[in-house]
Amino acid sequence: MTRHIVERLLISVPVLLGVLLIGFLLLQVVPTDPATVLAGPTASAEDVARIRESMGLNEPVWYQFLIYIGRVLQGDLGRSFISNTTVLSELGNTIVPTIELMIASLIWAVPLGILLGTLAAVRRGGLLDRAIMAFSVAGVSMPIFWFGLMLIQYVGFKWQLLPFQGRAGPLWTLEGLSHIALPAITLGGIFVGPVARMTRTAVLEVLGADFVRTARAKGVGEGRVIMRHALRNALIPIVTLVGLQIGFLLGGAVVTETMFAWPGVGRLAVGAIVSSDFPLAQGAILVLALSFLAVNLAVDVLYAYLDPRVGRA
Amino acid sequence: MTDATQDAASPAATTTAADALKRQSPWRRLLRDKAAVLAGSFLILVVLAAIFAPLLTPFDPYDTNMRMRLKPPDDVHILGTDTGGRDILTRLLYGTRTTLMIGVSAVIMGGFIGALLGILAAFYRRLDNPIMRLVDVLLSFPSILFGLAIAAVLGPGVDSLLAALTVSAVPSVARITRGAATVVMQQDFMEAGRAVGVSDFTLIWRYLTLNCLSTIMVYLTLQFGQTILLGAALSFLGLGAQPPTAELGTMAAEGRNFLFFAPHVSTLPSVTIFAIVLAANVLGDALRDVLDPRLRQ
Repeated sequence: MTRHIVERLLISVPVLLGVLLIGFLLLQVVPTDPATVLAGPTASAEDVARIRESMGLNEPVWYQFLIYIGRVLQGDLGRSFISNTTVLSELGNTIVPTIELMIASLIWAVPLGILLGTLAAVRRGGLLDRAIMAFSVAGVSMPIFWFGLMLIQYVGFKWQLLPFQGRAGPLWTLEGLSHIALPAITLGGIFVGPVARMTRTAVLEVLGADFVRTARAKGVGEGRVIMRHALRNALIPIVTLVGLQIGFLLGGAVVTETMFAWPGVGRLAVGAIVSSDFPLAQGAILVLALSFLAVNLAVDVLYAYLDPRVGRA
Repeated sequence: MTDATQDAASPAATTTAADALKRQSPWRRLLRDKAAVLAGSFLILVVLAAIFAPLLTPFDPYDTNMRMRLKPPDDVHILGTDTGGRDILTRLLYGTRTTLMIGVSAVIMGGFIGALLGILAAFYRRLDNPIMRLVDVLLSFPSILFGLAIAAVLGPGVDSLLAALTVSAVPSVARITRGAATVVMQQDFMEAGRAVGVSDFTLIWRYLTLNCLSTIMVYLTLQFGQTILLGAALSFLGLGAQPPTAELGTMAAEGRNFLFFAPHVSTLPSVTIFAIVLAANVLGDALRDVLDPRLRQ
């Protein structure tokens, strides 16, 4: 198993370099000369040249890339063009809301998806199965912004049931909870379909296994067969597949945050790109990519832990 | 599609009667799937409507008329007008055109590059490792990040959108193709072809690629819906086609500001996207079940 984890870590190295290269490229496309900006309008040509030298701007590009990696490793992501605060502090304020939103979405969507998928598998070919699968295909085909717009239009505006703008304090207050409700329903909503689909496939596979037949032959009750023997074994592939869908969830989060003015990393990234704030865009993309890598790695390790066959293979 | 269907069905007629009894032709089985037929016909209609958009409507999608802003549906403007007083039905037709064009081009380009990589990886053992490592790296990026990063570097617009959608389609197509091609590589006819001195190019094209084509096509149909959705989401965020371009995601975003008193402005393009993606997914699922059940996870 240790070998498996080390292998995964080694695969992450080129990915990590790719992410850093994108970040570096983003800072290269900045149309103005950073040294001129830093020196100010009254600086002499010599001053600018001196600053260029000290910033390493006269070095070859590959060397500048190394300098960039060094700076990122020290947590120096530059300053936002617009607010002039450090990118790191801007990012620091947005990470917690994004994690909150992700958790609030997954906490109801994954159990619901597993429930629906299991029901569909048990009633395979029946009306319930077909209804759940139709719902699932519709869910996968739904543009997330349409779902969100409908919630805003009806629940938020027409019936005035829940707020739909921004975040209001921590989740354990009623105010905070009511503000996260609509974004979490939107983001979780697009996740139910895929989870139900994956669960159905996984449970169907396990239901055909020998040990399920043995359990039935022993006279184990149907409910127990499904809960203890089938679902528990199916959970391993489900966990992995759900983990691998985190990228899909991330895409939804970017849209959801932007729509509901939720102050997370995704909204920050979109805002920075639209307003050409390159350092901030670079930082936000870097953070999104790194957290995605970390989640993937965690899922992989979890998988190896849950299913010992993976490590040995 | 009926013509193509009959053409494809004719080889089945040449097989023996016993075979025909045992196994119906895939196309006939597909035609018996009502949902798939409905989805397919709908997609054909949508494509036709997009192609012949200029003939179907008397209005111009870009002519603004401020006195006609945000009008509800009436006899002249069947679906009402948008914020610039432009006929929404007209913009939907032209928007579908743009959206489909972007989606189809991205899937074809990404599919071509991905299939090429997958075939090469399966055919030349030396290339397998480097190509598949590259694919692993690409797969490690969520597709939305391609969209964000490319829009950030090149600036938001249709070009960056197209590039992002293409890149995001490549790795999964490459992986699926390599899987299918590896199976074909183990067939006897590959070795036989090599033994009689068939050139690499012919082996790759005639023997390998044509045998993987149905898998690739099925997968691309399934990928098409996802590509359209991603493109619409990026445009909705303002990172794709820019207003006033008639593009469905962009139109949904424009209507967002008037959601409370003119909801149809953003709902109609959203529903159109949903219907197209749904039809593509239903058709893709049915094609997969009929042609290539192995793709089912």
